[in-house]
Amino acid sequence: LLLSPVSRHVGHLTGHQYDVIVVGGGHAGTEAAAAAARVGAETLLITQKIHTIGALSCNPSLGGVGKGQLVKEVDALDGLCGRAGDWAGIHFSILNRRKGPAVWGPRAQLDRQRYRDFIQSELLSTPRLTMVEGSVEELLVTEPNPEEPGHHRVTGIRLANGSHAISARSVVLTTGTFLSGSLFVGQTTSPGGRIGDAPSSAGLSHTLRERLGLRTGRLRTGTPPRIVKDSVDLSLAKLHLPDSHPTPFSFLNTHTHCKPEEQLPCYLTFTTPGVERVVRESLQLNCHIQQDTKGPRYCPSIESRVLRFPGRSHQVWLEPEGVTSDLLYPQGLSMTMPPDIQLRLIREIPPMRRAEIHTPGYGVQYDFVCPTQLSPALQVKSTQGLFLAGQINGTTGYEEAAAQGLWAGANAARSALSMPTVTLSRTESYIGVLIDDLVSRGVTEPYRMFTSRAEFRTSLRPDNADLRLTPKGFEEVGCVSSVRYQESLRVRNSLQDALTALQALFLSTSSWKKKLPSVPISETKSTLLTGLDLLQYNDVTFEMLASAFPESLSSFMEFAQRLKIEAVYKPHCDLNKKEIERIQREENMSLPQDIDYFSLPVSLSDEVREILDRVRPSTLGAATRLEGITPAAVVNLLNYVRVTEKKKETHRNQRQQEAQRDEELCANSASLPQ
Amino acid sequence: MAGFTQRLPPPRTALLRSITDPRSTEVLDRGLVLWFPAPRSFSGEDSVEFHIHGGPAVVTAVLQALGSVPGLRPAEAGEFTRRAFQAGKLGLTEVEGLGDLIHAETEAQRRQALRQMSGELGRLYQDWSDRLKRCLAHVEAFIDFSEDELIEDGVLNRVDVSVSDLQAEIERHLKDERRGERLRSGVQVVIAGATNAGKSSLLNKLCQRPAAIVSPIAGTTRDVVETALDLGGFPVLLSDTAGLRDSSDLVEREGVRRARERVEQADLTLVVVDSAHLPSEVDRAAAFLREHLRSVLPDTDRCLLVLNKADLLPEKQRQKLDTELRGVSGLPAVRLISCQTNEGLKAFLTVLHSSVKTLCGDPLFGAPTLTQARHRAHLQRCAAALAQYQRYRDTDLALAAEGVRLAVTSLGRITGRVGAEEILDIIFKDFCIGK
Repeated sequence: LLLSPVSRHVGHLTGHQYDVIVVGGGHAGTEAAAAAARVGAETLLITQKIHTIGALSCNPSLGGVGKGQLVKEVDALDGLCGRAGDWAGIHFSILNRRKGPAVWGPRAQLDRQRYRDFIQSELLSTPRLTMVEGSVEELLVTEPNPEEPGHHRVTGIRLANGSHAISARSVVLTTGTFLSGSLFVGQTTSPGGRIGDAPSSAGLSHTLRERLGLRTGRLRTGTPPRIVKDSVDLSLAKLHLPDSHPTPFSFLNTHTHCKPEEQLPCYLTFTTPGVERVVRESLQLNCHIQQDTKGPRYCPSIESRVLRFPGRSHQVWLEPEGVTSDLLYPQGLSMTMPPDIQLRLIREIPPMRRAEIHTPGYGVQYDFVCPTQLSPALQVKSTQGLFLAGQINGTTGYEEAAAQGLWAGANAARSALSMPTVTLSRTESYIGVLIDDLVSRGVTEPYRMFTSRAEFRTSLRPDNADLRLTPKGFEEVGCVSSVRYQESLRVRNSLQDALTALQALFLSTSSWKKKLPSVPISETKSTLLTGLDLLQYNDVTFEMLASAFPESLSSFMEFAQRLKIEAVYKPHCDLNKKEIERIQREENMSLPQDIDYFSLPVSLSDEVREILDRVRPSTLGAATRLEGITPAAVVNLLNYVRVTEKKKETHRNQRQQEAQRDEELCANSASLPQ
Repeated sequence: MAGFTQRLPPPRTALLRSITDPRSTEVLDRGLVLWFPAPRSFSGEDSVEFHIHGGPAVVTAVLQALGSVPGLRPAEAGEFTRRAFQAGKLGLTEVEGLGDLIHAETEAQRRQALRQMSGELGRLYQDWSDRLKRCLAHVEAFIDFSEDELIEDGVLNRVDVSVSDLQAEIERHLKDERRGERLRSGVQVVIAGATNAGKSSLLNKLCQRPAAIVSPIAGTTRDVVETALDLGGFPVLLSDTAGLRDSSDLVEREGVRRARERVEQADLTLVVVDSAHLPSEVDRAAAFLREHLRSVLPDTDRCLLVLNKADLLPEKQRQKLDTELRGVSGLPAVRLISCQTNEGLKAFLTVLHSSVKTLCGDPLFGAPTLTQARHRAHLQRCAAALAQYQRYRDTDLALAAEGVRLAVTSLGRITGRVGAEEILDIIFKDFCIGK
């Protein structure tokens, strides 16, 4: 490497031209920087403290229901968090194990130190990536490139404490809770995005709002106090063991770093009426909870939990923070009251009667940029070269941040390298659902992923994320290594061969009964059944079929579980296919970002024009999902897309088009719509 | 459809075919069928056109039959155009024009839906939709949160109960004897009976014009004579039929066959009897009528007995029959009338009106009914989707939830759209979610 990959001194970077600058070293920033470098961009990651890169600011865990799908997808696109989780995990479990593989939630408790180490060493060994310590004061903004849509262009950043300007073709902002962030404990408020870190400069917020004219909103979140492990009587809590066979997140890993028997347990306990009493008595001392800034409904503070659902006992998980850590993380006890009252509160919970607090909980309020101002590539529509990812877009959660970071980083790199940006459809991935929800609907509260947000949940499963995304990531995006790509092709071909082999087993029900005597196959059916049909039975596993037909099936044993899942879901996925294709067709019709909807010479109501102007959907598919858009408006928009596409075509091949037109007229006269 | 089971007709050629319900194998209509193989069709996909007779009853029956074919569903507003457009089949001016047309149509549909939705039917569907959404929200909460949160196991059991209740209610509603559709397309009332009983005279009286030829000659009416009329606000399709008798005349025999066919399809049959043929003793008259009814109708549930030519009876016998034949067991409602003198007509009209009203289901009272074949198709889909929930409830909750999602979407096509956020709102209202 010519440049030192880590530098605490930025002097020599001045005047250097990067392809991509990533601001922020959290989950979004690290994935963005790594993805940009993988795509081939000279990338600079700027963060306030090098040693907090990859820090888990809040809970020491990764994945879960819905979130686990995101981790699998980030991994399928060669991102970091899945492999980091496999390295740092100390307690693995698949949530929803009994509810169907489409909604399984791979999850792990993490060792904070190991996670950070893994992320940092990955970044250090990533070619084309440089990391530097610093605080970004403002964005360098110039006139837009007239060839492309947009009112401004970002050409780099200026660092605080000095006037170092570093230029780049693309800038990715992943500032998390630091954008005009304020910390709340009790009645005290101080500027900042995370306790122990300096606040980020007000200049950045100012540039986004005043210079670029972006609409922002304010959200809040919080974190619980960290408890001294030795001060907790864990015998009074319910022991919660991990899976005996840990399942890795990454498609590249066959096992986790932590040995099964070395995993650590979690503990479950419950709040008491005393907790509610303390919350009520201390309300006047609690600034954060009194504000009406929107907080997450699904990661609420203990204050909002007991106020919204009084008189109940609420779950509190006591989670390990790491193998060598002497702290416990009390999941469910985010709180913002003064530290002495926090202590009173936790001591109302039996295992914590004598507990000591290591670091008090606190609340954060921060600015986010209304994400409807972004394109599906996570680029600010009005500003060339500016990309946003993570909490700055109104989301919450490590996995949501990582997913956006990867996608914004890959697109920032593509844009910097003069390649077209790429999008992911909500029909093919949770990342697509996440981004589409953000850019087409916006947020009113911190956005978290749930499986129920994905319309095609039965097709977008954790087990098949590699099939869905890895080939695309290699062939179309360029963010996947060829090693992973080759592996995904091997898996895809093997699965295909196995399914073909299963379908080739074509037996009468009586023959099946002989082969699999333990399976209740109804003999009234005189039809022939294939091995694939049999595998859909509840009691039939691939292992059973393979032992009955070792010659054709035993070579596929490594895919036994995936094949079982494929077989069960196949009929449902086939049913989804048509609807998926329809949506994809509509998503392939892009609406230019610079349309003036008010003067568009097509028949649209004023109301529809206003909606379209405000949201500026990037595809026809996104437009159809907007509230208030009528079918007639969609048809007229189709018309418009067609006109613009036709014009482009005309330049290329007029004659071919005329021939096509004749055929159209012919077909039109043959039949009319009903 | 049935016509195609043996072979496909040549493309783009109009052929006369019987259109048959694939389930009941009942012939719904005879009409022109055209097949347009892709890509040379309006939408660029394989298309079939049915050119059928325009009566709402026929249209509804064909739509229902189509809706019962797996994989078929009613097009959404603008869908044909959209598909045609995507296949590159539409010229620009055509899209403009169709956009406006679809706008007008969807406006009309919207207004119609609004009218329906403000009524009792709307409240019923809304109630189902609310209950289904709640079921879905609870299943989704169980999937997305139960591992982390205190979501009691009882949640799913309550969903089980709701789902099977809803399924039963929807299926009962679907078996409502098509009352609502009758309200839209008209109650089929058929006048039947022996020759020369005065059936055509009754038709002419009811529609207040000489729609059918009347003569003293038995067997004057040989074909079915149809006339539409408004009976106290209810649409009625009244048919006069040939008198039932064995005949050697080929034409008359066909007329009698058609008459019997009509009676079988009728919502209500008016059996007309010549009073002069009745035995004078009441007991024997009742036995005679019972016997006569059996020869006309398969069952006497849906008929009225009209004793015509009352003017030919002596006053005393007339009164006796009128009072004593009412409430005789095994006989439907009996009314003495005279088409000649109009005697008893008013009383008869009252009885007829109330029967028709019962058949339609009074929109102000009683159970709400279906009003559109489209609704029926969506409701059938909804009920089928709920069965999917039950099939997968214990083995794969994701697939079970998919069933409830489909049910919500199907119902949502009647009541309006349902988004994921709406479901999440219910989840957060009903559960304390804290991780």
